[in-house]
Amino acid sequence: MNGRIFSVILLPTSECNVACDYCFEHKEPHRLSPALLPLLTQRLLDHLEHENIEVCEIYWQGGEAMIMGPEWFADAGRLMGRAAAERGRKFVHYLQTNLISYSPSWNRVIHGMFSGSVGTSMDYPNVHRKLFKGGPEAYTKLWTKRLHEARAAGIKIGVIAVLHQASLEAGAERFYRYFTEELGLDDFQVNTPFAGGPAKDVEGGFQLDNGELARFLGELFDIWIQKGYDAGVSLGPFDALIDHFIGRPARLPCIWKENCSNQFISVDARGTVAQCDCWVTSYPEYFFGNMFREPDLTRMLKTSRARRDFVERPKHLMEHEDCLACRYLSICHGGCPVRTYSAKGTLLAKDPYCEVYKVVFARAEAHGQEILRQRSAGKGLAVRLDSLRTGVTATA
Amino acid sequence: MGQSLINEGSGRVSAPLEPEWPILFLPSDSASGHSSSPFVAVVRSRAELSRWLINPPAGLQWLQVEELLEDQDAWIPAAQSTSNVPVDVVISSPASQFSDLYQLVDVFAVRDVRVSMPASPGFLRALKVAVALRLPVRLLPGQPSPEVLIELTEAVSFYLRDPMVETPVEFFHSVLAAMCGAGDGSLWMILEEDPALFLHRGVDDGFKIRGISSSPSPDLFSTTFVDTWFKRLLEQNAECATCPWQQICQGYFKWPDPAYDCRGVKRLFSAVEAVANEMGRELACRDHTGPEKELGKLGSIATS
Repeated sequence: MNGRIFSVILLPTSECNVACDYCFEHKEPHRLSPALLPLLTQRLLDHLEHENIEVCEIYWQGGEAMIMGPEWFADAGRLMGRAAAERGRKFVHYLQTNLISYSPSWNRVIHGMFSGSVGTSMDYPNVHRKLFKGGPEAYTKLWTKRLHEARAAGIKIGVIAVLHQASLEAGAERFYRYFTEELGLDDFQVNTPFAGGPAKDVEGGFQLDNGELARFLGELFDIWIQKGYDAGVSLGPFDALIDHFIGRPARLPCIWKENCSNQFISVDARGTVAQCDCWVTSYPEYFFGNMFREPDLTRMLKTSRARRDFVERPKHLMEHEDCLACRYLSICHGGCPVRTYSAKGTLLAKDPYCEVYKVVFARAEAHGQEILRQRSAGKGLAVRLDSLRTGVTATA
Repeated sequence: MGQSLINEGSGRVSAPLEPEWPILFLPSDSASGHSSSPFVAVVRSRAELSRWLINPPAGLQWLQVEELLEDQDAWIPAAQSTSNVPVDVVISSPASQFSDLYQLVDVFAVRDVRVSMPASPGFLRALKVAVALRLPVRLLPGQPSPEVLIELTEAVSFYLRDPMVETPVEFFHSVLAAMCGAGDGSLWMILEEDPALFLHRGVDDGFKIRGISSSPSPDLFSTTFVDTWFKRLLEQNAECATCPWQQICQGYFKWPDPAYDCRGVKRLFSAVEAVANEMGRELACRDHTGPEKELGKLGSIATS
């Protein structure tokens, strides 16, 4: 029993100021009107009230969220905070941005509304993230400059890196050193790629061999354990997996939730509601409805035929896939619906990265056991019991 | 109201520390007038479930929910934290209902949930899904057939040896704790079937023990049932007399058919004992705190 969390991935615009090759979004010049924000807020609060949920996490993304400007966010944060407080609820805000248009004018809203931290994205090597005028090199140069400026302003930065073929060719060691040594980061995560929306046309270029990907991730995991774990470097999703395997509370990424349909939705600037940003920007056939046209979000989620597929997916996987025989079922549950859909054209199958995940899970389990074993010299008993149950003795 | 449904590791079941025994299990309708002394309401409809969740009286310990797992809408109010009444979800056909356990994900986020299931053929699928969802399980073995015993053997190994299992699976969990010196309850108590502690009332106002009504043998059905039944078995020279597990079993597997052959269940006990011994040896290697003190912690640690 841990309390329900409801999250909304909110896209105030689909516009973007860069031109990345693998972006799955339709970049439309549409922005969330300040006139509609109170209505959106009211609908969210109605839903929270109906579901008896106290806190709602808002993940502001895009398009590029910073296109809206700092004042827009300051106003939005004030309006939403006031409306929530009146109804005994709370919004907690997070910002995901490409940082390209970051300037000191953002500092106040970032330190206030976003608690001094933002998420951004960069790959290594960067071959696919591009400015409209200028290639990947120009993008990397500008992004790195913005990163340093933001950090100098006391902003904590977390970076998402999407893996691609050149990452695998560069190797895990160079990849890790780029983020930790060259950029000086202590918080980043790796995502597996998938091709949705417009990017599907060029998906061939982003498809990775599962064996190569698994090998890369396994090596990266080892390097992080060796160099970063004790040094306080957070590398997702490895850090959450280690937490899990050493018995700490772990917040695993959404791709491995019991059922992501229970925990979040995404809403775009037009009010379109879908499962997550990937769905709301890429797959109209899986829209749940429209927040501005339908007065009751709870009812929309309950009655949406499209959403039913998400709700029933885990049940279907248990009955028709081999997930039940997998020892990692409790930390995977069949994986990510959008990765499945983009690769297989159906939700009702397990994640195409299944074999990659198994390698990562096994690595996490082995490292977790080793961490516990090392600690057992001083504390012991819990480790011994854990070892007993795995058939491995701590004294061996 | 709202006590834990999970064995906290002492070897005792979920009952309050100083309860007014026994806890009465009442059909929802009969339970309506009940308020102060401890009771469990047995609900079988969406309306009943919703009603008890909204206005739980002080004596309500938990809800025993039957025949509702597949009803998606029934679980919506249970996933809203208007009250924290725990629910014990009884699944009658685990082999076919295992995937429906995903209905309980939201419910478990706001209240304690336990899954109870008969050890019927194919139950292991439901056990694995429940464990993957971190739901505590109460496995009701009854008098298992040879087919089910094979599955129980696999289940006990899964529970004892698989590090991915994080939640207690009864009766394995409390038997392990007892064998490690951290509990002294019998299977009757562990599985909430001892009428001295858990009195199950049927719709006809009579009492039931494992689904069997009291009317044919009222002399046996009393709060001293376990003692009476076990003595009767010993007097009849049942194999219990020489059974090494008689203390924890107390004739559980001989009910209702005293001629039931216990060889299979003895092997299950032996498997649990082997792990208990393994743990004991490991703990004995610890020097500073001493094994006895450490053994006292076993139950809670095993579930962490």
